[in-house]
Amino acid sequence: MEFDWDAEQRTFRSTVRGFLEAYLPDDWESLAHGPGSASQSAFSKKFCGQLSRAGLLVPHWPKRWGGREADAWTSFILAEEMWAAGEPRGGQYMNVNWIGPTLMRFGSEEQQERYIPPMARGETIWCQGFSEPEAGSDLASLRTRADRDGDHYIINGQKIWTSYAGDADTCFLLARTSPGKTGLSIFLLPMDTPGITVRQIPSIIGEGDIHEVFFDDVRVPASAMLGAEGQAWEIARTSLSLERVGIPRFALASRMLGRAVTTLQQSGRFRGGAIDQAARARAACEAARLYSYQIVDQRRHGTPTGPEASAARYATVMAERLVGDFVVEQVPEALSGGDPMLLAHHQRAIVAGIASGAAEIQLNLIATELLRLPREPR
Amino acid sequence: MDFTLTADQSALASALDRLATPFETKPTDFHGFALFGARLEQELEDGQYFDIAQVPELGPLSAAMAVERLAWLPCTAEIALSMLVRPQLPGDWPRPLAVVENGRPGRFVATAGTVLLIDGERMALAKPAAGDVEAAESLLAYPMGRLRSGVAVHPLSDSETVNLRKWLRIALAAEASGLLQAAIASAVEHLSLRKQFGRPLGSFQALRHRMAECAVLAGGVRWLALKAAATAAEGDAALAALHAQESATRVVYDLHQMLGAMGMTLEHPLHLWTYRLKALLSELGGRSGQASAVARHCFANAA
Repeated sequence: MEFDWDAEQRTFRSTVRGFLEAYLPDDWESLAHGPGSASQSAFSKKFCGQLSRAGLLVPHWPKRWGGREADAWTSFILAEEMWAAGEPRGGQYMNVNWIGPTLMRFGSEEQQERYIPPMARGETIWCQGFSEPEAGSDLASLRTRADRDGDHYIINGQKIWTSYAGDADTCFLLARTSPGKTGLSIFLLPMDTPGITVRQIPSIIGEGDIHEVFFDDVRVPASAMLGAEGQAWEIARTSLSLERVGIPRFALASRMLGRAVTTLQQSGRFRGGAIDQAARARAACEAARLYSYQIVDQRRHGTPTGPEASAARYATVMAERLVGDFVVEQVPEALSGGDPMLLAHHQRAIVAGIASGAAEIQLNLIATELLRLPREPR
Repeated sequence: MDFTLTADQSALASALDRLATPFETKPTDFHGFALFGARLEQELEDGQYFDIAQVPELGPLSAAMAVERLAWLPCTAEIALSMLVRPQLPGDWPRPLAVVENGRPGRFVATAGTVLLIDGERMALAKPAAGDVEAAESLLAYPMGRLRSGVAVHPLSDSETVNLRKWLRIALAAEASGLLQAAIASAVEHLSLRKQFGRPLGSFQALRHRMAECAVLAGGVRWLALKAAATAAEGDAALAALHAQESATRVVYDLHQMLGAMGMTLEHPLHLWTYRLKALLSELGGRSGQASAVARHCFANAA
């Protein structure tokens, strides 16, 4: 067991930091608000192109798709540094983390050739069409229908809470092709297909983050289906397991905690209860960091990821909450124009327990699979 | 960064599992507060387990793993300080080792070969004679004792004090990690067997979620403790001890809630772990003490 970084990992981290220093604009902190905002989406396309040309967008991908087959630590170090900097890749982090790898595993040759190269060049934004008004945590009950019509499918229904939908080129869409859990299929749907309407939902998370997406008789060729009809649950489980520790939230939380502490120190306010609260939050951030590293270590060794991934996610949720509470209580001016980065972090942190699935679902998994408590009757 | 156990660590873990097996269950005729494992201590002594931190292939990280593993047992002995703190003492000081913090009763003081005295910021060592110490009756599940006044002390330098305080924090976190896991396992067993309203208590989501949160906290304590033992960094030690005390406060309350009246009895072993955790809560200045250390070592560069 080794808790230190090796020379190559240190060098890679400093390369990434050097890149961020060179390529993030001076006004980045005021741009960083709302990861789905139009300004950040536009910036992300420029920035991801630069990352791609530097070999820093998809280093962990296979050589065929523009990567260098770097190990799980490399991609996680990259993710930590990006998220801690305010995620200048915007929604494209999803391409890198799970949409690209999912297409590599389940996509047809044609789908791979069409969609993966633009991702590797940093040119394209995707959205994830999962949640519906009636299907949140109970995702398997979703109603958006895809009815076969010759060599096409006709899609009707509604998605909600869809991040990045306003600027997305393509939707990774989960739709029903027949009744039941095995009746779900995935479509790779160009967002300019006639019949798609996107409406932004104003939110406390920030400009342009969540949307409603309506599908009215949207006609797609059968070749837009990812994998086989009814394979969605298997594919989505793979995607979600990649996503679960996909965002190293603890990295930004920890950095913002340090920033808030600096603010307090400079004004002589870092004392007493503030110290206790900051220390608790830092400990929770470091616990979440090590939990996440455990999962990365499992990936690195090719060990199947078990319920520890749920524990890692929940530890991260706990850490985000403590840092969020600390800032709101001790540096309240941050939410009223005092610090754009603390504000941006707050807006991202409040969804830590909600985005990519309610944290309570993780608690269920931990109780059943890690503690082996009896299941709840259904 | 690599979380795979080395061959030596795996071998140690297997050896400890074999050694621990005969001690896994609480004797049915024991209805006291502190279950002392004299035979466990003797076996650890005979197998030279108290010196594993000094074995180059093992070191303090392996010692922390051993402390954690042995803290699962219903019986206890002075293990953590001997394995993790004693190697840091200047010169040869006999085990068992005990800490007397600001004159309060401490764990294993009545049988200590060496007492580490903490008086505010200062520390000193003493070898108490038989009449210098006495046992103290306690609800806490360690053999507690106190030091009578007038023992000859060997003061420690500032740098020795700083170093020892760090290793005391690591020892506390490693022990708490094992205690938390054992206590949670004990509660899980109860929740799986005990039925109310026609089904196991552990199938009620209100309890499942609380238990899952406890498990997440305990796992975090484990990682922080192991990392601190590996890096020997003061900040890591402070974070580990803080998270241990913070988590123990919450988990101990929740687990007793899960066990109901059963957990109040001396017949059930839960108190052996929870009342050891309670003993650890106040040590080294408690949560505020660890928080001050975190502020010193982790936020020093913030300004």
